[in-house]
Amino acid sequence: MISIRNLCYRYNKKAPLVLDNISLEIGRGEFVAIIGQNGAGKTTLLKQLNGLLKPTSGSVTINGLDTATTRTSVLARHIGFLFQNPDHQIFCSTVYDEIRFGLTNTGCRPEQADERIRRISGLLGLDGILTRNPFTLSKGERQRVALASVLALETDILVLDEPTTGQDYRECVEIMEIVKDLNRQGKTIIMVSHDMEVVVDYCKRTIVLHNGRVLEDDDTGIVLRKSESLGLAGLEPPQIIQLALRFGPLFRDVTSPEDMARAIISCTVTGGARV
Amino acid sequence: MIRFNDVSFAYEDSADFAVRNINLHIDRGEFVGIIGPSGAGKSTLLSMINGVIPHFYKGDYYGEVLVCGKDTVESTCGELSRHVGSVFQDPEAQIVSTVVEDEIAFGLENLNIPAGEIEARIDEALRMTGIEHLRHESTASLSGGQKQRVTIAAAVALRPEILVLDEPTSQLDPAGSRQVFRTLKRLNREHGITILIVEQKVMLLSEFCSRLMVMDRGQIIMDGTTRQVLEHNDRLLELGTNCPRVVTLTKLLKDASLWSGGYPVDVNEAETVVRKILEGANDQYPEPVLPLQ
Repeated sequence: MISIRNLCYRYNKKAPLVLDNISLEIGRGEFVAIIGQNGAGKTTLLKQLNGLLKPTSGSVTINGLDTATTRTSVLARHIGFLFQNPDHQIFCSTVYDEIRFGLTNTGCRPEQADERIRRISGLLGLDGILTRNPFTLSKGERQRVALASVLALETDILVLDEPTTGQDYRECVEIMEIVKDLNRQGKTIIMVSHDMEVVVDYCKRTIVLHNGRVLEDDDTGIVLRKSESLGLAGLEPPQIIQLALRFGPLFRDVTSPEDMARAIISCTVTGGARV
Repeated sequence: MIRFNDVSFAYEDSADFAVRNINLHIDRGEFVGIIGPSGAGKSTLLSMINGVIPHFYKGDYYGEVLVCGKDTVESTCGELSRHVGSVFQDPEAQIVSTVVEDEIAFGLENLNIPAGEIEARIDEALRMTGIEHLRHESTASLSGGQKQRVTIAAAVALRPEILVLDEPTSQLDPAGSRQVFRTLKRLNREHGITILIVEQKVMLLSEFCSRLMVMDRGQIIMDGTTRQVLEHNDRLLELGTNCPRVVTLTKLLKDASLWSGGYPVDVNEAETVVRKILEGANDQYPEPVLPLQ
C-alpha cells in the first residue's frame, strides 16, 4: 500500500539530508506511530507521503502511484492529511463549508456531499455546530472540524500529525477513539505523536526516527522497551513500561496499568516471586 | 506572596465568568501545578497574576488580586513584570532576537538596566537555567526545549520572585519537556522562585510540583499537596483530566487489597510500592495521606 525505498530528502542543495535513506513498507489496515524528537524529520516524512514534498532520491509509492510523477490532487484521493495545527488548514467561514470544500474539489456531487457531511459531522459530534464559524470554536472543536474535512474525502489512508497536541485529556481520548474505529473499519493510520501513552494505547507498530533515519521499527510494545534507542531519540518509555523494565523479565509483556496489576496479582497468588 | 480575595472575571463580550469566586493563597517558594479541562479558567488565573488581566484584556472584574503586596489593578504591567515573569506555550511567539544572549538582554534593556549590569544578569540567568553553552547560538537553530529554556532565562534575568508558565511544554518532545521541568525545579529549589505552571502533562506535574490545583468551569475544585490530590484519582478521571499511570496502577492494587499505603508520584516511588507488595512487606511507603475535605 505504501512503499518507501531509499528515500533521501534535503530542503535545498546546500542543506543537510533531513531524510537519510529511509525504506519502509506499510500495509493496508496498519496503525503506525512515528516518534522522535523535534527536528528528527517526522513531519517531513509525512509530507512525502501525500506528495507535498518530492524525494531528492529514492521513491515513495502510494497504492502503486509514484509520488514523484503523480499530481498531489490525485494522491489526495488516496491519502488524507491532518496537520498538527488545525488553524493551518481551516479557512472557510462555516463548519459546513469547511467540510464540503475538499469534497467539491474532488468532484463529489452536491447531494452526495451533503449526505457525507451529515454522516461525518454526526460521527465527530459536530452536527450541532455546522453553521458556526470555525474560528469561534474551541481548539478541540477546530481540530475535529479539520479531521472531519479530511474524513469526508473517504481516503483509505489517514496521516495525522500530532492530532492530540493542545487538547485536554478528554478531547485527546475522543479523537483517538474515532481514529481507532476508523482503523477497525480498515483504514490505514499513520500518526506522529509526542505522547507515549497515546502511542502505547493505540498504535500497533512504532517507528523511531532519529536524525532522518529509522532507528527502530517494530511492534509498539517492543520498541517502547528499548530505553537506550528512545533516550537517543529524546524520548522515554511510558510510565508503566519504565516501571516494568525495573523488574527484569518479570513483567515482560506489560504495557498498561491493567496488565501490570494482573501480573502483580498473579505473582502474589502463586506466592513469592523473587525479585 | 500571591493572594486572591473573592475574585471573579468575565471577558468583555462574554456572558459567562471565566473564573468565579477564587480565594487563593500562595506562599513564597511554592511549586504549584494547575490542571483541568480546556476552558476551566487556568490561563485566565495566570493572566490575573501577571496583570495581563485587567491591563490588556478588559471585562467584569470582582474581588482583588495581590501580588507581592501590590494590588494588580492599581499596578502597571511594567511594575508587575519586576515581580512576575511569564512564559507561554509557543517559544517561537515569544522570542524576538536572533542570538540567545540578545534575547535575554532585550527585557533588561527595556527596564533601563545599566549596560555593565546587563552583562552580569545575562551570566546569572544562563547559569541559573543551565544553558551557558547556548549563549552565542542563533535562536533559530535551537531545539524546542532549548528555545523554551531561553524564554525562561529571559524571564529569570529580570529577577522575578514569581514565574507563571502557561503550558510551556505543549510543543516539546518528551526530553525537551523534562529539561524544562528540571530547569524549573532548580529555579525553585536553589533560588527560591515561586512557580505556577499550567500543564496537561499530569505525569510531570506529579513528579515535580509540591502542590496541585485542579480547576473546572472557572473554579478551583481541588487544592492540596500533590499526593493528596492524587488520592482523588477517580474524580480526576471523571473530570476528563488524565492521571499518572502509576497512580492508576496503584488504585487497581488498592482495589485488590494488595496496598493500603499512599499513592506514588513517580516511577521511583511506584517501584517501591511494587517491590513491597512482591516481598509481602507490611510497611507502607509512601505513607498514606488524608484525602482533601
